[in-house]
Amino acid sequence: MSKKNWASHRQAKDEKMQRVAPLLEGKFAKTSDVVKILERLLNSGDKVVLEGDNQKQASFLSKALASVDPEKVHDLHMIMSSISRPEHLDIFEDGIASKMDFSFAGPQSTRVSQMIADGSLKIGDIHTYLELYARLFIDLIPNVVLVAADKADKDGNLYTGYNTEETPVIVESAAFKDGIVIVQTNEVVDKLPRVDIPGDWVDVVIPADEPYQLEPLFTRDPQHITETQILMGMLAIRGIYEKHKVQSVNHGVGYNTAAIELLLPTYGEQLGLKGKIVPNWEINPTPTLIPAIESGWVQSVHSFGGEVGMEKYIAARPDVFFVGKDGTMRSNRAFGQMAGQYALDMFVGSTLQIDKYGNSSTVTEGRLSGFGGAPNMGSNPTGRRHSTPAWQSLKPDDNPLGKGQKLVVQMVETYGANKRPVFVDKLDAVEVRKEAKLANVPIMIYSEDTTHIVTEEGIAYLYKTSSMAERQAAIAAIAGVTPLGMTSDTATLNDLRNRGIVALPEDLGVRRTDAKRSLLAAQNMSDLIEWSKGLYNPPAKFRSWS
Amino acid sequence: MIERRNMMESLWIFPGQGGQHEGMLNRIDSDLKNHVEELLNLKLKDSAQAYQDSVQLQVGIALLQVDQVRKLAKYNLKPNLVAGHSLGVFAAAYAAGVIKLDDLFRLVKYRATLMQNSYPHGYGMGVIVGLERKYIESLVAKVSSTDMPVYVSNQNATLQTAISGNLSAIREVLSLAKNKGASKAIILKVPVPSHSPLMKNVSQKLQEMLETIELNRPQRVIYLANTTGKPLRQIIRIKQDLSDNVSNPVYFDTMMSVATNYQPQVILNFSPGKPFKKVIGEKFDQISQIYLDQMSIEDAAYLLGKWERKSN
Amino acid sequence: MEKLNFKFKGTEQVKNKAHVGVVASGDLEVIIKPTTNSESTLNIVTGSDGFKEVWQSVLKRFFDRYPLIADFEINDFGATPGVVNLRLTQAMEALEDEK
Repeated sequence: MSKKNWASHRQAKDEKMQRVAPLLEGKFAKTSDVVKILERLLNSGDKVVLEGDNQKQASFLSKALASVDPEKVHDLHMIMSSISRPEHLDIFEDGIASKMDFSFAGPQSTRVSQMIADGSLKIGDIHTYLELYARLFIDLIPNVVLVAADKADKDGNLYTGYNTEETPVIVESAAFKDGIVIVQTNEVVDKLPRVDIPGDWVDVVIPADEPYQLEPLFTRDPQHITETQILMGMLAIRGIYEKHKVQSVNHGVGYNTAAIELLLPTYGEQLGLKGKIVPNWEINPTPTLIPAIESGWVQSVHSFGGEVGMEKYIAARPDVFFVGKDGTMRSNRAFGQMAGQYALDMFVGSTLQIDKYGNSSTVTEGRLSGFGGAPNMGSNPTGRRHSTPAWQSLKPDDNPLGKGQKLVVQMVETYGANKRPVFVDKLDAVEVRKEAKLANVPIMIYSEDTTHIVTEEGIAYLYKTSSMAERQAAIAAIAGVTPLGMTSDTATLNDLRNRGIVALPEDLGVRRTDAKRSLLAAQNMSDLIEWSKGLYNPPAKFRSWS
Repeated sequence: MIERRNMMESLWIFPGQGGQHEGMLNRIDSDLKNHVEELLNLKLKDSAQAYQDSVQLQVGIALLQVDQVRKLAKYNLKPNLVAGHSLGVFAAAYAAGVIKLDDLFRLVKYRATLMQNSYPHGYGMGVIVGLERKYIESLVAKVSSTDMPVYVSNQNATLQTAISGNLSAIREVLSLAKNKGASKAIILKVPVPSHSPLMKNVSQKLQEMLETIELNRPQRVIYLANTTGKPLRQIIRIKQDLSDNVSNPVYFDTMMSVATNYQPQVILNFSPGKPFKKVIGEKFDQISQIYLDQMSIEDAAYLLGKWERKSN
Repeated sequence: MEKLNFKFKGTEQVKNKAHVGVVASGDLEVIIKPTTNSESTLNIVTGSDGFKEVWQSVLKRFFDRYPLIADFEINDFGATPGVVNLRLTQAMEALEDEK
């Protein structure tokens, strides 16, 4: 009987590394050899993680991957938290890859739809971020990972700094399971500011010909915040933040939540809420949070990623942000998502469609966008047991063993872009599932997890409803004049208001005439710079005055 | 440390017929114009009356656009994405380096001649604004017959759909659409049922001609296909789009959605006219735009240079 | 450009003038004047054609909740129904203040 080989993966890795040995000096390869390196280290059919989330992209390696010879490397199984760049899909058109497991495809959503329809892209699953990271250790263990670093030293130690994001979790999944870790680096230095990833976990380092792509995704210019959004922000602060004494929160990307951030130092202050609500945040260092930080509202901020232009400001506020000894922030997307799911009182986000039951999705006809952090943060982990007032306030009165719940708030205007109703009878996602042959309807946040919906009409306290019929009535009552909203009548509305299931602005003491732009702590980007005492340096595209 | 480079990605848009006007060829490079006239044995009159003629019109627009592409090239300006609408595909393919100048003009003249001869009268196009395409399909299905065929054709923006076919049938669909809440339902000044299966013959003949032409794979440029909205890099598919767009709907709406996936920072709108204002406004949130109809090439190049410096 | 006219019944005769909103893309202005008629008259000029039914719904809902009687002049520059409702209810609040 032949002896079983218990180290076949290690052997396979050694063989691959032999193939590139002539191209390496220590762990370093030449920039110009990148395509050759990939062709020798990738076997057809390999599971490959290509680093790229909604902010940071291993763009040098993704371009190189798109240039490999499909005769040599084909049918890769790609695992990516975000499909963000054109070449992420070009590799499927050219046959270099054939299957994709991902979380988010916002910037490429139209092409993703087209390519699924014509069969050039096969989808495994559309995951939440945490699900995708978790499966890297279970059934999507990668053969090769392609990641990006800011700096590397001679031993291959990596500095990833502000934008550490998901690099550690990806590298870990390969480094201890005989996967190959290939790193692109912006710079090679003698001494790193600090070590974010030990060189021992790294196999190949390639200096890039240009820095990795970085998107200032969480920058919102206050100039574009409308009075409707300000009204909704006021409703949320009074009817949710104050009511539930919310202590910890995540805000989605959007002008609705940017408005709330800018209303805390003004409207929140007027209400006497400073020191009483939201001292602790899990959020990217969004510039619109600067006025709240400067006026003493915020005690701590942990972040999934960095934000272009916020570097100096963060470095100068180590009491608030997570900052290394070297003075730069450390982000971590996996821990951030974990905190977002487990540690927060509340998630506040937005969506493109909400159905009559309260399920919401950003997947619409022809756009298979996937979701960012929303499904993690916008869901209620049922094993949790928290003593914060907010969590406890959602506990049912009539059950001694009843549990509290995370607050999951959707803020939407009743009509969105193109004057299309946000409230719909059936989500487009239902059709998309059929067309793309997905196992699950791509719902972003499920009805059962959604505790509040805020529109310009008012707030629906969905957690208070006792049946699906009542939940539907509450949603219709704040759905404005959308076809769904038109099914609600004044009598039902008033009954729901009397029972505290729906609140209109007048019920919360919010005056619509107060919803003015002058109520925002910052009106534009230069106000934000002023609040930051000149430490915030917005990217060029947000500097309209220069 | 290497600098963060930030080249501005540009989308070049080439309209088809519609915006032509007398005198639009005034500023064309005279050597180029002479060359084309000699090549095609055709005197370009550049008058309102001449533009009633398909050959004058199509060759005239193609010449105007090719001239603009060549002048921009002198400033080293090249596109990252090209989107032509109908006739505009030829200048788009030229800008992408796919087709050579002489081949382009021969092809356009041939296309115009074929289109002109295919339906002498009684056929044309209409446009409906404010109704969903699916709904318009149901109206068309009610009206269309073998004797009086009508088809749903171009999708120019989300709620802006063209129909092509027999004029009486078109009028019938337009009046149904108006009754069903369309905010606009009118006949277009196009004398042929373009972008419908009624033009299959023209496509076939163009295919045959394209087989004799040498095309090049676009280098670092994406060509957005009329017939599917898809981004193309392969010659064989671009070739198919050049021949088949005349007998298929132009999904300009989808082309622009796909274009957003490439995140261009600037749009260059070629002459004539500005037919895509609405759809661009729908798809792109605050993008820098240049209309060559309103601006000299020199000024456009200056502006682009200024924006480029600002983005760095 | 489309001109729309509506009439709605009400119970509360408006005594003062009110003017809210702005002339800007995506927004609208609402001018309210007292009337001697027994119902509200609305004259709307809108930049977005084809939304008559949506206007009807927004206005019906507004007058159901706040049965004012006045002359309304509305200049719309492509506002969403949400913004229209915000401006109408702001005008209503402004009138309340003056009572």
